[in-house]
Amino acid sequence: MKTRWIIFAGMFVIVVISYLMSVPFETQPSPEIQKSFDFFESLPESSVVIFSFDHEASSLPEIQPIALVMLRHAFKNKTKVIGLSLFAEGTAIGYRMLNKAANEYGLKYGRDYAFLGFKPQHISAILGIGESIRRVFPEDYLGNSTDTLPIMHGIDNYDHIDMVVTIADGDRPAQWIEYGGANYNQQIMAGLTAAMITSYDPYLASGQLYSVVGGLKGAAEYENLYGKRGSGNRGMLAQTSAHFYVIVLIIIGNIIYFRNRKRQGRG
Amino acid sequence: MQTRIPLLVCLISGLIMFAQYFSSHPVAKSIYENVLEWWQIIFAFTLLVGVAAFIKTNLKSISQKKDAPYRTISLLGLVLMPILALIGGTKIDTPFLWVFENMQAPMQATVFSLLAFFVASASYRGFRARSIPASILLVTALIVLIGRVPIAEFISDSIPKVGFWIQNYPSMSARRAILIGIGLGSMTTALRVILGIERTYLRGN
Amino acid sequence: MWLNVSTLPTLIFSLISFLIVLYTIWSVKSGKKFKIREIPGLKAVEEAVGRATEMGAAILYTPGWGGDIQRPTTIASMNILSKVAEKTAEYDCRLLYPTHDPVIMAVAQEVAREGYARAGYPDRFKEEDIFYISSSQFGYAAAVDGIISRSKPASVFLLGTFEAESLILAETGNSIGAIQIAGTDSTIQLSFFIVACDYTLIGEELFAASGYLSGNESILSSVKAQDILKILIALFVIVAMIWATIDPSSTWWKF
Repeated sequence: MKTRWIIFAGMFVIVVISYLMSVPFETQPSPEIQKSFDFFESLPESSVVIFSFDHEASSLPEIQPIALVMLRHAFKNKTKVIGLSLFAEGTAIGYRMLNKAANEYGLKYGRDYAFLGFKPQHISAILGIGESIRRVFPEDYLGNSTDTLPIMHGIDNYDHIDMVVTIADGDRPAQWIEYGGANYNQQIMAGLTAAMITSYDPYLASGQLYSVVGGLKGAAEYENLYGKRGSGNRGMLAQTSAHFYVIVLIIIGNIIYFRNRKRQGRG
Repeated sequence: MQTRIPLLVCLISGLIMFAQYFSSHPVAKSIYENVLEWWQIIFAFTLLVGVAAFIKTNLKSISQKKDAPYRTISLLGLVLMPILALIGGTKIDTPFLWVFENMQAPMQATVFSLLAFFVASASYRGFRARSIPASILLVTALIVLIGRVPIAEFISDSIPKVGFWIQNYPSMSARRAILIGIGLGSMTTALRVILGIERTYLRGN
Repeated sequence: MWLNVSTLPTLIFSLISFLIVLYTIWSVKSGKKFKIREIPGLKAVEEAVGRATEMGAAILYTPGWGGDIQRPTTIASMNILSKVAEKTAEYDCRLLYPTHDPVIMAVAQEVAREGYARAGYPDRFKEEDIFYISSSQFGYAAAVDGIISRSKPASVFLLGTFEAESLILAETGNSIGAIQIAGTDSTIQLSFFIVACDYTLIGEELFAASGYLSGNESILSSVKAQDILKILIALFVIVAMIWATIDPSSTWWKF
């Protein structure tokens, strides 16, 4: 029990001290991050992208840097963003992030971006968007009729959407791929927590998922490409320190193990 | 009769839902969408069952003075949130959302971050070079751990590449093999339920 | 169109699978016997219940946050719960079952009640020990952690669909010295369980539990069908790999 508390205390001290320091990290972007970045760079002005905030509040510290840097990049390139949520907890959080990024560029709600709100039947919603977004979301999050939003003029279904970016910490991207991608050939990109990245490797390998921006490191790499450091980079020292702390623990654990084994051998 | 009717309903529903997946006919799509909508409605009613059970359990414990303060707070939370939602709505800048963003979200994030501590203690205990396979696992874990941080590139360019290779080849192959097994297991379990061979969900027999 | 042609490969494979399952079930009816290898995690169920009885402590069984009742993993978990309930009834051991889903709670109550009745001790069943906590992932995890820390069960069963809460629960169980038997359909969470738990049911071992514990021949036959299908998939992968190596431009195996 005592060992456990020492381990926990050590982790706490290291992460807190690291987070209070500010050390910039230069990182080589991984192929997936570069691909995601290049996609937004290549989009013509006034292209339309859906951002779906399909995550819980608990993963916000990891998800927020990813979502914000991608939104900022989209807005910088004058891409129009339609936000929505297929996970109840992500609704208000998604709206706030969308507004925050849009306000940094002085964009107008309804014309440059809109938030359609939450839809509980996510599979039905994904399939429904393929037929008519208006039928699935007759009103936006603020109660305006979708028809009255200038951004929605000429946007009816996936045929008019260049990419769906799902910001998730669970299995919603798999459902976007299986229903939106498989039935309507809609391209899907995912912003994921680090723990979920490996779950989507098969979809990346098969091309069903266009690209992934994963974890705090993914956010940091994207921020470096975007040219403005944010909370992704801020967390890198803490993450690095925590990783090295775990490595040190593993080494110490093995030293103790072999020492005990030797003693038992002698005894 | 008590068992036969549910089994028959299960069989017919299972076959219909199986068949609709392979059809792009509007009738099939309509069946699927209707079932999804009914599922949501039924789910909403089952939440009422859960709430009733939650209230009953907590009231009983409070009357027996078992963890009474904590159970009282639980019940207050259960009652307060719907009241706030009914009075002020659930959109931006409402009391409901304030409680969610300033109490629930931080609490959830706190419990999630316990994982960091538990990963440390599990790693300390779990990664021991007890045997050759365990040693291989240990070395692999160290490479992947180092490869996931920016400093890896300063130590050696190869570390992130090797880490990437480990995750995308041997690790992915093993995961795919397990996933195939799980997929087949899920399929046969579902088939057993549809055909009525598996009846545990029906009163345990 | 009545048939979506793009789903044809899936339909063909599904029909082949059904035929194989039906064939193995028919084989059982004509007298063929199927054996299943020893699964350490399932063999340890009796040991786990016995340990709890000796220590006078409870057993905690939870199906995880990630699934609902229609998921095959949850149904497989219910099969094991049925046996565990029977054992706890025999040994007069307390069985705690916290869950995140009211439907799972209701089904688990019925399953456990039947288990107790089968063991001959229906009066020992306590409905309030199988309870709903919260549909929120970390509300559920925090509550189960608290229950484990306070009630200190001798045995912990983590069988079902788990997500990020898996290591939190497993480490807490480990910290109180409980014997832990775990099984899930998530390959990520399996790694955490293998490190933190005493026994882990990997892959389809969880789904074979029903047949293993009951010895029901019809169920064992479907486990046999799984093995046949796995061999067919392995053969397909080998053939496709060789073909794609010889002729990289081939596409017949891509569907």
